[in-house]
Amino acid sequence: MLDTVIIGAGIAGCTAAIYASRKRMDFVLLTKSFGGQFYESGEILNYPGIKKTDGADFSKKMKKQLEFNDVEIKEGVTCKGIKKRESYFTVETDKGDHNTKTVIICTGAKPRKLDVSGEKRYAKKGVHYCSVCDGPLYKDKDVAVIGGGDSALEAVDFMSKIAKKIWLVNIRSKLTGHEYLQENLKKMDNVEVINDAETTGISGNKTVSALEYKKKGEKKKISLDGVFIEIGRVPNTGFAENFLQMDEHGHIQIDCATRTSMDGVFAAGDCASGHEYQYVIAAGQGCMALLKAARYLAKKQD
Amino acid sequence: MAKVTVYSTSTCPWCTKVKDFLKENNVEFEDIDVSSDQEKQEEMVEKSGQMGVPVIDIDGEIVVGFDEDKLKKLLKLDQDA
Repeated sequence: MLDTVIIGAGIAGCTAAIYASRKRMDFVLLTKSFGGQFYESGEILNYPGIKKTDGADFSKKMKKQLEFNDVEIKEGVTCKGIKKRESYFTVETDKGDHNTKTVIICTGAKPRKLDVSGEKRYAKKGVHYCSVCDGPLYKDKDVAVIGGGDSALEAVDFMSKIAKKIWLVNIRSKLTGHEYLQENLKKMDNVEVINDAETTGISGNKTVSALEYKKKGEKKKISLDGVFIEIGRVPNTGFAENFLQMDEHGHIQIDCATRTSMDGVFAAGDCASGHEYQYVIAAGQGCMALLKAARYLAKKQD
Repeated sequence: MAKVTVYSTSTCPWCTKVKDFLKENNVEFEDIDVSSDQEKQEEMVEKSGQMGVPVIDIDGEIVVGFDEDKLKKLLKLDQDA
């Protein structure tokens, strides 16, 4: 019987695992793929103590720290569900089950889809969700970034040095990304911001050649080569849907101490209900979740 | 030994992961940065039918993305015990 199962190895899960190891708990760290969302980060400039890094570099450092703390990472594992037993839980995965006294869910989030015509058909044929990955293929080409928040502005920042022309297609009347990123945007001469624009379709032949949007009821079309979709994230919480209380957006409802609606189950990071998707918050919550799980175990023993 | 080509971009973390994986397993490969080579980019699109990186060509078999199981199978690497 394990003390805890940590699901997900993004920043929240890795932090929980470091603490679990140092507290000499009997645990496993399960993950689909190590590094979570931060692995696809182009630039990380807001992690205290680190002036500047990127996802791949940060991930390597994190892995070394886990190795240093003797944490074994079980990669390639997908969690299917959690079952409540009389005095423990069973975490079910595609690679076998784990019985455990507590569960810490750190499953993060994935890019939200636009849900317009052509998006699926042209996936990776002009439609992309990771600008640092596929962005460099659009050297001297014309692209659109869809969105208006932090990740959209970061994608524009990255693409402005590569593409010829960038349209930032924002459904709101104002951009919502950090002021620092908005200031950067003003310095770029190859970016055009289109506010109040609802993307309605992506079209092309073999690959993407145009984007359609609606502004004030008027239909417009831009000829371009690529579309980068950065319209936020949806939490990876489907496996816990019927087991835990969720908020209206499908995040696991937690209190300020990362406790979920089920005693003994904790959630941290982007899968939980904080709605502020920051590395530091994920780290803090991962730590909180593990410490609260340890207290829960101690109390049970009394 | 299989002829292995990796089509990548310098900023793509999944490309780094593929290359690290190949190095760890002592697989020799040719690394092509498609962001600075239009001709090779077209070759990659032709081979894989899409524009996402990384693309790995193992003796003509195409893998898109870091698919560890598929890479292991095509490279005939021993599966984890």
